[in-house]
Amino acid sequence: MSARSGKLREVFRYEVAHRLRAPSTWIFAAFLGLLGFGLTGADVEGPVNVNAPSQLAEVQAVLGIFGMMITAALIADAALRDLDAGMDPLLFSSPVSKAEYLGGRFTAALAVNILLTCLVPIGSLLFTLLNHEPTHYGPVRLAAFAQPFLILVVPNTILVASILFAITIRVRQAIPVYLGAIAIFVAYLTAANLRDMWGGSTLVSYLDPFGMSALQDVIRYWTPVEQNANLVGLPVMLLWNRVGALAIAAVVLAVLHRAFRFAHVEARAGGRRDRIERIVAQVNVEPAGPVAVPRVAGTFDMGTRWLQFIAVTRKAISELLTSRTFLLVLVGHVLLTGLFGWEAGDSVFDTSTWPTTVLVIERLLDTPLTPIAYLLAAVYAGELVWKDRDVGVAEIADAVPVAEGTLLAGRFVALVSTLTLIRMAIIVGGVITQAALGYYHFEIGVYLRILLGMDLAELAIIAAMAMLIHVVVNQKYLANILVLVACVAPVWLREMGFVRHRMLLYGTDPGWTWSAMNGLGSFLAPFVWFKLYWAAWALVLLVLSVLLMVRGREDGLKRRLRGARARLTGPVARAAATAALLVAGLGGFVFYNTNILNTYRTIAEMGRTQAEYEIRYKVLEDVPQPVLIATDLRVEILPEVPRIDITGGYHLVNNSGGAIERIHVYVDPATTVRTIAFDQSASLVKADEEVGFRTHALGRPLQPGDSLRMRFDLSVASRGFSNDRIRADVVRNGTKIDRRVLPFIGYQPVFELTDARSREHFGLAPQPPMPGPDDAKAKQSRDLVLNEDLVQVDAILGTSLDQTALTPGALRRSWTENGRRYFHYVTERPTEFGLSIYSAAYEVVEDRWKDVALRIYHHPGHTYALDRTLKSMKASLAYFSEQFGPYPDPLLQLVEVPRYGGYGVAHPHTMSFTEDFFLSRVRDGEVDLPFYGISHEVGHQWWGGMVGGGRVRGGEFLTESLSNYSAIMATEVTYGHDAGKRVYDFQMGHYLQGRAFQSHEVAALDVEGQPYIAYRKGAIAMYTLKEFIGAARVNGALRRFADRFRDKGAPYPTSRDLFAELQAVTPDSPHSVLTDWFETVTLWDVRTATASMEPTGDGQYRVTLEVVARKTRADSIGNEVEAPMDDLVDIGVFAGDSAGTPLHLERHRIHGGAQTIVITVPTEPARAGIDPYNRLIDRERSDNTVKIAGPRSAP
Amino acid sequence: MQLVIRDLSKTYPNGTQAVKDVSLDVPQGMFGLLGPNGAGKSTLMRILATLQDADSGSARLGDIDVLKQKDEVRRTLGYLPQSFGFHPAVRAERLLEHFAVLKGIAEAGVRREVVESLLRQVNLWEVRKQKVGTFSGGMRQRLGVAVALLGDPKLIIVDEPTAGLDPAERVRFLNLLGEIGEASAVILSTHIVEDVEELCSRMAIIDHGEILLETEPSVAVEALRGRIWRRTVGRSELAAVEAAFNVISTRLLAGRTVVHVHAGSSPGKEFEPVEPDLKDVYFSVMAGHHGKRVVAA
Repeated sequence: MSARSGKLREVFRYEVAHRLRAPSTWIFAAFLGLLGFGLTGADVEGPVNVNAPSQLAEVQAVLGIFGMMITAALIADAALRDLDAGMDPLLFSSPVSKAEYLGGRFTAALAVNILLTCLVPIGSLLFTLLNHEPTHYGPVRLAAFAQPFLILVVPNTILVASILFAITIRVRQAIPVYLGAIAIFVAYLTAANLRDMWGGSTLVSYLDPFGMSALQDVIRYWTPVEQNANLVGLPVMLLWNRVGALAIAAVVLAVLHRAFRFAHVEARAGGRRDRIERIVAQVNVEPAGPVAVPRVAGTFDMGTRWLQFIAVTRKAISELLTSRTFLLVLVGHVLLTGLFGWEAGDSVFDTSTWPTTVLVIERLLDTPLTPIAYLLAAVYAGELVWKDRDVGVAEIADAVPVAEGTLLAGRFVALVSTLTLIRMAIIVGGVITQAALGYYHFEIGVYLRILLGMDLAELAIIAAMAMLIHVVVNQKYLANILVLVACVAPVWLREMGFVRHRMLLYGTDPGWTWSAMNGLGSFLAPFVWFKLYWAAWALVLLVLSVLLMVRGREDGLKRRLRGARARLTGPVARAAATAALLVAGLGGFVFYNTNILNTYRTIAEMGRTQAEYEIRYKVLEDVPQPVLIATDLRVEILPEVPRIDITGGYHLVNNSGGAIERIHVYVDPATTVRTIAFDQSASLVKADEEVGFRTHALGRPLQPGDSLRMRFDLSVASRGFSNDRIRADVVRNGTKIDRRVLPFIGYQPVFELTDARSREHFGLAPQPPMPGPDDAKAKQSRDLVLNEDLVQVDAILGTSLDQTALTPGALRRSWTENGRRYFHYVTERPTEFGLSIYSAAYEVVEDRWKDVALRIYHHPGHTYALDRTLKSMKASLAYFSEQFGPYPDPLLQLVEVPRYGGYGVAHPHTMSFTEDFFLSRVRDGEVDLPFYGISHEVGHQWWGGMVGGGRVRGGEFLTESLSNYSAIMATEVTYGHDAGKRVYDFQMGHYLQGRAFQSHEVAALDVEGQPYIAYRKGAIAMYTLKEFIGAARVNGALRRFADRFRDKGAPYPTSRDLFAELQAVTPDSPHSVLTDWFETVTLWDVRTATASMEPTGDGQYRVTLEVVARKTRADSIGNEVEAPMDDLVDIGVFAGDSAGTPLHLERHRIHGGAQTIVITVPTEPARAGIDPYNRLIDRERSDNTVKIAGPRSAP
Repeated sequence: MQLVIRDLSKTYPNGTQAVKDVSLDVPQGMFGLLGPNGAGKSTLMRILATLQDADSGSARLGDIDVLKQKDEVRRTLGYLPQSFGFHPAVRAERLLEHFAVLKGIAEAGVRREVVESLLRQVNLWEVRKQKVGTFSGGMRQRLGVAVALLGDPKLIIVDEPTAGLDPAERVRFLNLLGEIGEASAVILSTHIVEDVEELCSRMAIIDHGEILLETEPSVAVEALRGRIWRRTVGRSELAAVEAAFNVISTRLLAGRTVVHVHAGSSPGKEFEPVEPDLKDVYFSVMAGHHGKRVVAA
């Protein structure tokens, strides 16, 4: 026994010593430490501390996944070193048992791996200690660092290491290790995907081998306070999940132990070992006589160089393609594409869309397929650089008269060709996936242009870097890791905010969006120029590779540098010079665009313009200014350029009590102002071009009641391209501009910086909270813009012949002039001045509802959702007119806009929707969310259109909550109570998630800029009230509210005015609903402890339930205080599960604490519980109902 | 074309001086470089084959500076290293054709002709369609020779070529080498004396990086005539004999030890004179009785 453990110890010691001597180990150590250090501060949201235990756990779990690469390297080395060195005959014939050999190797590599991974929490701890300050950090607790390491990282490492070790020993090659790591990574993501699909299924959390899902389940709904205070600990599910992971590892190792044999390894690097062939070959026949060999010396000219290049390329390609694993890679990509692409378009605001090619590609590029491509580039580059040496032909091949440049060029082309083939596999996979989803409009051209054009260009640039790293770093495993680091580095540097300029982040570009309406549009230019710039750098890297390539036996760095100097002649020198010139020239052009034509702001300086605006001009906020009441515009849209020229005027009136001497005008600095003038003498006192603020002094002060006309001549266009995304409002097809391009009168607080940290950075005081509902002054204006309320608009729009231009208003006339089309729109009455002008080559669908004309302007071919849209428009108009008051316009139109931003926007009788919406579809069993989305925007014609709230807290309740509620009701009325309930559930889920990320939750009535409250909480509050007191009462209250304030001027209503109407219609007993849902932040925690039944003897059953209930009120940061509970809550009894018709469903009065409820039902029940439909805001939703225990009648 | 090496030296980073002021003249024909393992032969061969750099000295092949004009050398070089492999999945003919392109034989027809005749010359024509992975050691060696012979090289360097071959293969290989040795300078680096004896018209003996003797084999052998003596001894006497005389080699013959001794005249009546051969030359040189090395008294 001791001899055995002695041998195992020896194998272990030997392996550990080897590992610790290797410099690559220390580089891995540094890498992991830096990762732990660098990523700790990365993803912190608001009030959650940087060192909150949940944050630390997530950081370590994520890094564990990346740590797999290092595990792959260590394990591959441990498993293959003997074979590589040829030592296996010696080892395998000595009296070492399988357990000693395998065990020693494995545990040694694992021990070193875990030791290295320790550096992640250590790096994390160091970061915390160095940066600790009370606002963003909590007390330092070692347990918070140690727990995730022991619970998550160590078992994960054991699991991954055992799987990779088994694979490598079995297959005896290195590439499968990396493929194995990828497969494990993908398996993890699949589990995450499935989990999302099945809505947090606990089964998946058990099965997820890395514990990420289990971790997520534990902390998903924790508020910021809980996240800061609670250790993750080892809840039951997480415990079983970890045990499961270790069990899998043990099984894998056991199988390996059984299957392993100390056997001679035949020619493992690939050919078939055909013994018969070998024997035949050894029968040699003496030649008949001396053979005359023609003495042909080689010729070395351009032709030969070309042939050599072709030969090297062909050989390199065939080396990569004929490896056994390549087919696996190709097939794997097709399968992965199917796996990831299956949900393309599924998460466009939770509606499912048809899987158009663009959506599929975008989805795929966003998945691990991209880092997998980087990894493959790294691994294949390594294969190409090392192949000759690995096989043993290097000394022959290196003495052959081929230039280093030819060798490198051939290998590079081979690498790119291989990556191209893999991309094509993705295209094949994408087409198959689309067909499987029932969509056949494949748009192969788009696939080719994006995947084989743009994406491949980026990959080629990365491939050049991969080759250089492999050439310089003369160690395969280390080089692979370094390539990955180099790929991740630009992303990390950008995310952490260290480097922002894309000319400094290798291979990057400002980003692009492909639109069906506009193609690549204006994104093409910046993409191409940045890529050309980086391609020039890639050329530099390739030249460096040529200079530093190892040839022969000299691989010491000094000798290589000397050799590099010697190689810098002739074609290599010319290439170097060309590359340098290209870098300088292209770099200069790009820099000219990003920094000179446009402003480039470093991270620290971002927001400077907005800050200066406030610093310089906030003093003028309360200075009385004339009010805009009407405007006439002539807008020339030039899609070919693209540019928009606007000339026009404002009709301003002095509604203040006193005379006005100076007029302040703000125009967005991105708009070019040619002139601003007045119809009376005025001098330009100050023009601040940087911020866009102008001050004009009037010759004669403007008296109260008098009016004034302002004229302006503006132009809106991009200048070159910038480091950030190019502007996407003025484009070739699908132009969409709004109010922001036009001048504003007076200082506008809406343009101030809102981010608290930025404000602090620039020395601005924190923003004051919005005024309360009692602030009389604030109620004088609606919407967010000062000095204008409802405006009359008279606009002439000119665009190209093939396009239609639109803006809210009645179309008076349209004509053609000078080869362009013109449209004259005039608003029938003053409206909110959002401006919104659209121009594109539209097709129109027309319909009617009563005497309202319905029109949909859509991109040709986007016809999938038109019927559904019209149905929703009609149903919503019908329901809302009936319930809330007549629709005031003769027209309701919907416009499709490119997918550059936003989802749906409402303007007077005009709604715009992103092009992705027009691709939506509803599959069997899904609720018609597109219907609901349209209904929401139609609702805005009432809430926010006819009735607008004052600029106070809770203003969004009157717009978003009411529109959402109206949309849920329209859905319920059209599709039934069940559909309404499902939309309600959808809102509830988003609300709960929003709670976990945000701080400062306020009551619904006081909402201030929090979408999860305005859109979600407010709507479910209204719906809950309706469930209690009935739709007639709630809608009646809304009707009265609308009647009071429709089309009235100041003072504008607040959420309290609406609340008063709701209070008036709510009888006493459900009154608590109003307090709980509207006025406070209330949470419940209800569960059913037990449920039992017994027959009553007369064919009925008595069900006895023990339920526990608790109610808490939360303050603004999530501290919860228990509140007395005495609420009406649903109690339900079901014959099957809670999806079926209930045997009993009634509201019972429930108080805080435990209580017993007895119910009699006519048939045998199976499940029962409290709040079976999850109507209460309860974070733990699965404990409401239970199976009923008890005597069952005989079957 | 003649290869002229002057004062070539190379020291490895760990301090080992592998090549120490080596000077040689290698004319057309077969030149044997003889020395024990670790003598520096392979390093010297690799320097000449442009795979390693020398620290000092010069080497010229005709007009070409071997150390500085690596590309030019490679165009007229054939190199067969001591240990090598080929991509196992490639067929022999294809592989030879690949190298033919790399060596500058651009025209397809000419190339095919050269490949065919080389394969026939090395007797691999019958198996040209087989994958190299199935070849035995000797077949692989012959393919390596074929590769080395592509492009009509004027300098052919062959490093320990017969080490792994069975007797029949060795004979065939040496015959082949003899055929090609006529028009180029061929350096055969080996520790097997018989190889040099059978093939080479000039030779040098190298040890610890230094050239101990540069001569023609026949001349070296002739110089030893009358100086080599043989005696058969029992095992117990061996130590005494070694202490008393300049023993240059010992071998076993039917259970007893035969020693060769280097002496100017007969060392005693137990000894009989022996016709020297190249092995005796080699052992004498290594023992310091001949050539540069001087034995301390």
